[in-house]
Amino acid sequence: MSWKVIDRNAAPDKAEAPVLTDALVEKIRVFLPRYETKRAALLPALHVVQDHFGYVSWQAMQELAELLEINASDVFDVVTFYTYFWTHPRGEKVVTVCRSTACAFMGADSVLDECKKVLGIGEHETTADGKFSLQTEECLATCDHAPCLYVNERCHKHVKPEDVRRIIEDPNNAKLDIERSTLFDGVKGA
Amino acid sequence: MTKIIINGTEVETREGIPVLQAALEMGLNVPHYCYHPGLSVVASCRLCLMEMKMPHPKTGEMGWAPKLMPSCQTPVRDGMEVRFDSEAVKRNQRNCMEFFLLNHPLDCPVCDQAGECLLQDYSYQFGDSTSRMVDPKYVNPKKDLGPKTLLYANRCVMCTRCVRFADEVAGTGELCVTNRGSKAEIDVFPGKALDNPLQGNVVDICPVGCLLDKDFLFKQRVWHLHSGDSICPGCATGCAVRVDQNENVIYRLKPRYNPGVNDWWMCDEGRFGWKYAQDATRLNRVITRRGEAVESLDWAGLPQTVRFRFAEVTAEHGDASIAIVLSPFMACEEAWLVATALRKIAPNAALVLGPVPLREQDEVFPKGATNGDAKFTISKERCPNRRGIERIIGALGGPTLTFAEFSENGGKGEIKGAWISGGYPEKWVDKELAKAADKIEFLVVHDLFASELCAPAEIVIPACPFTERAGSFMNIAGKLQPFEWAVKPADGCKRDGQFLQELAEITGIYQPESVRKLMAKQMPEFAEVAAPPKMPEHQH
Repeated sequence: MSWKVIDRNAAPDKAEAPVLTDALVEKIRVFLPRYETKRAALLPALHVVQDHFGYVSWQAMQELAELLEINASDVFDVVTFYTYFWTHPRGEKVVTVCRSTACAFMGADSVLDECKKVLGIGEHETTADGKFSLQTEECLATCDHAPCLYVNERCHKHVKPEDVRRIIEDPNNAKLDIERSTLFDGVKGA
Repeated sequence: MTKIIINGTEVETREGIPVLQAALEMGLNVPHYCYHPGLSVVASCRLCLMEMKMPHPKTGEMGWAPKLMPSCQTPVRDGMEVRFDSEAVKRNQRNCMEFFLLNHPLDCPVCDQAGECLLQDYSYQFGDSTSRMVDPKYVNPKKDLGPKTLLYANRCVMCTRCVRFADEVAGTGELCVTNRGSKAEIDVFPGKALDNPLQGNVVDICPVGCLLDKDFLFKQRVWHLHSGDSICPGCATGCAVRVDQNENVIYRLKPRYNPGVNDWWMCDEGRFGWKYAQDATRLNRVITRRGEAVESLDWAGLPQTVRFRFAEVTAEHGDASIAIVLSPFMACEEAWLVATALRKIAPNAALVLGPVPLREQDEVFPKGATNGDAKFTISKERCPNRRGIERIIGALGGPTLTFAEFSENGGKGEIKGAWISGGYPEKWVDKELAKAADKIEFLVVHDLFASELCAPAEIVIPACPFTERAGSFMNIAGKLQPFEWAVKPADGCKRDGQFLQELAEITGIYQPESVRKLMAKQMPEFAEVAAPPKMPEHQH
């Protein structure tokens, strides 16, 4: 049992200027009239922040809490609940390996191990050069092609451990076959 | 009248309460972690699942439903039938216990909670002795959640009682659950530590050893502790507390269930504010001064000496020159004993209520609650028994003085003999009182700590703190609550009640009930005390 203690009395470093720029705040405010409470706008607000910075920093969480009039701990709670949201900087490309049943049966564990070996990082970590991040996700909705692996939003199907190095080294590994969904790009007409 | 059948036995209960509560109240040991009567119901621990009879969807025939239902979330309805003793229920309890222990480090030998841990108890009562887990356990770092509390996440069962407490009762919402599923952890936002005036309660409601009190950490194994049921003297709310001691050393205070007063909670000031009771600088011998000479007095002869000197002063200056200052830290019985003892000698002695320490306003929880839906109040009156002393002074009649008048008259030299009771945990003697004390010819001081009163006093008697006394306090709502002693008086001290009873020439061992019987002849409201009801045995 490790005796390492995380000290929560200490506040994280704070930048001088707010990280949520006026433009971002304006983007978030658009969502507010949609819901009865300000708290309910937290998820779309987090999407806005993550889309802009690639991750949700401690300071962004605090500023969001102030903006939506909730506790900073509530924002922290939601951000960490969804693995989609990152609390630390993300690499340019995010390699996502499925950890659900179908992929697990088809050998997702060895694919994940190979990814860790090739990239030299663990889960939810980013390589030193900032190129790649690695994460696992519950079902990626491609069970018929298990085991599967995503690089950003591009799906690679039927991945074998020996394919991993080729996929990661391929410069076009994140290129989409079809156009990206615009679901989270904001409110229509905003 | 609502009647339901639990395990084949018909019980009378109240409509709408959770079935779990009804089962606990009938004395059934139903395991549960997340359910707490003072918090909202989340039904997340799945330990309290029960079988319930429901109509068959096709035939309408009543039969046991195939799925288990959470008893904490199912309200009681008249005529319902449930059972906790079936094989399916027991199997669920066994499986749940195995699940709770998946990542548990089983470090009971170094865990503060061991001995009062619901993981230990339920594992023994409802669990299996083995685990089928073959994978390595998760190891989470310990967290320093705030100035008074540590979190050992490995031991957590994710009941989220602490999170709900911070949200619903304290209203400060510092705590949250981070991550999800098997990696979920209790946490606070960095820099927004768990530091509200009620935070100590999260340690009490934690059913396992996850949240730990830094003040009590590694101090004592809980099975060595003996408790005394007391009342916190910190403020006029009068929370029922339990004083835990071992070999006459106090280790901690815990709240007792006291509906309508403090419910299940207490504030941190009360929880950690008892340290003065074991302070080494407490007065610990009876001192008498004759001119310049200072001598120790024996407790045995003391009552007689005090009575004799008061009689002398009364004879010389008349009984109107005598005053008795009753402290709002005294129990009702003690105050009555002093007042009657000295009024016997000087029938027109003035009764004075000692100074009442006040703050600006009450602190109400949840934060921002209006008085109607407050769940906990820390009173602005920083003493336990102002109401009781006021009743006694009112009921005994005769001359009275306010404390300011007492200081003023004393300063003018009009008071020749006085008894001053203290017992304040903090410095309480102001300049006017110190000046008055110099002018009083015969002064008896009965106090916890040395003060400016000790030098002019002819007799200084050491008092006992609440942990060493027994009696009753009347709280701000007028509820007369009894308390008992938890530890023996410190060396050189004598239990206040015992000494004052001897002063009042009542023989025998001091028993608050017998004194209250005597008091009830003059003041019928002291005949009955409101002791809090016991919680159901298996509720926690």
